[in-house]
Amino acid sequence: MADTTFAGTDLPRRAEIEIDEQEVNRRKQFLEFRADDAEALKSLEPIAEQYADPVIEDLYRHFLSFDETGGFFRDPKVLERVKRLQREYFVRLTEGDYGADYVRNRLGIGTVHERIDLAPKWYLGAYSFYLRAVATRLLEAFGKEPQKAFSAFLSLMKLVFLDIGLAVETYIAARDRTMRKQQEAIRELSTPVLQIRDRLLLLPIIGVIDTHRARLITESLLRSIRANRARVVVMDVTGVATVDSKVAQHILQAVAAARLMGASVIVTGLSSNVAQSLVALGIDLGTLNTAGDLQGGIEDAERILGYRVVRAAETGRGPQLAERR
Amino acid sequence: MPAEVHVTIRDETDIVTARQRGRELAAIHGFSKTEQTFIATAISEVARNIVAYARRGEIVLATSQDQGRPCIVVVARDEGPGIQDVEVAMRDGYSTSKGLGMGLGGAKRLMDAFDLISAVGKGTTVTMKKCVR
Ligand SMILES: Nc1ncnc2c1ncn2[C@@H]1O[C@H](COP(=O)(O)OP(=O)(O)O)[C@@H](O)[C@H]1O
Ligand SMILES: [Mg+2]
Repeated sequence: MADTTFAGTDLPRRAEIEIDEQEVNRRKQFLEFRADDAEALKSLEPIAEQYADPVIEDLYRHFLSFDETGGFFRDPKVLERVKRLQREYFVRLTEGDYGADYVRNRLGIGTVHERIDLAPKWYLGAYSFYLRAVATRLLEAFGKEPQKAFSAFLSLMKLVFLDIGLAVETYIAARDRTMRKQQEAIRELSTPVLQIRDRLLLLPIIGVIDTHRARLITESLLRSIRANRARVVVMDVTGVATVDSKVAQHILQAVAAARLMGASVIVTGLSSNVAQSLVALGIDLGTLNTAGDLQGGIEDAERILGYRVVRAAETGRGPQLAERR
Repeated sequence: MPAEVHVTIRDETDIVTARQRGRELAAIHGFSKTEQTFIATAISEVARNIVAYARRGEIVLATSQDQGRPCIVVVARDEGPGIQDVEVAMRDGYSTSKGLGMGLGGAKRLMDAFDLISAVGKGTTVTMKKCVR
């Protein structure tokens, strides 16, 4: 499973976050990554080319020696491909031009990690491995000038930390998105229509009503009206903090559909803030039957259905509902 | 706190994020609960238009001062199809998507200032502002 997801790396990936030139510059300022760093890195290009293969080989040998990371690369074809991508990644470090394009190129990486469920501790470890591997090779390449090797290494470290920042943020953004999707899915599943009395349904709406969910709510409402031969529905929107024109339209449509099926709808729990927003929006809810709170709505519904609440003293039993004659 | 809040708008969950950020920012700057809801609703309208008509774009939230009063500035930007006739699009009840057609006019009424610039084939930018009363 992991292999097939990882194999998707070549597909065009949508970056989770977007970072413009200005933001890139700000980050570079903070990292103190300057023009001379870019120059220094660019001058390493021949060395990077020369050492790319052995460094990548070392890296994957390391990956493969751990179950947590090696598991992704069991398929030799996948391994070949990720090595190729890794090589591109590596060489790109010394190709200069570290602006918005560079960042875009880097942003996909965290998304892939999230998708294959590779936790940051592993790829942070990989960055550390990289830096150490490169430090060793630089010392080797610069021979009698270790000072130069050290200075080049510092430039590289700044750039790698820019990359790490991007990878981690992307990972977090992707995670956030996944979590929001899951929460949405849970909410969708929990739009119960409750029968509280004969012919009386309660539809509590909690959270966010989007187009997809509105359709589900309307469908399950209509199904329940039919199944219970309901005449009144109390739709409680206490849990809905913002009602914009689209959501209002969804509510109005659900109410109209219920009406066509012979049920009237009482909307409860519209906060005064939401009501004032709707007025300012210019949306007329005048055709809606509303009640201040859920309790009031249920009482109104009972009245419509011909129930009346009778005190215990009148019947000799506990408080209960009596059918009105 | 960052000077600006950027929210990338690509789907309906982003609409929710944008208006939550707007609400938070408004709460921090002393807007009343009603004003917070107005701001969140206006953000929801313009963000929804991005998803519906331009597919993607962004919302930028910033704060400013107006004669000592804190204000929130909302910019909704997209590089979508743009709007042919802005005056017509602003009209209440006008919709090309069987919507209520109250989004743009409504957002304008919810906020203190509203400005829409659009070029066909280039995109649309809505800038809105509301200050603490
Ligand atoms: N960002 C946008 N890009 C392109 N067209 C837009 C955009 N926002 C609004 N429009 C156009 O303006 C019309 C009116 O928008 P609005 O008042 O929000 O009503 P609704 O969204 O209900 O149609 C839309 O139907 C659409 O044709
Ligand atoms: Mg709209």
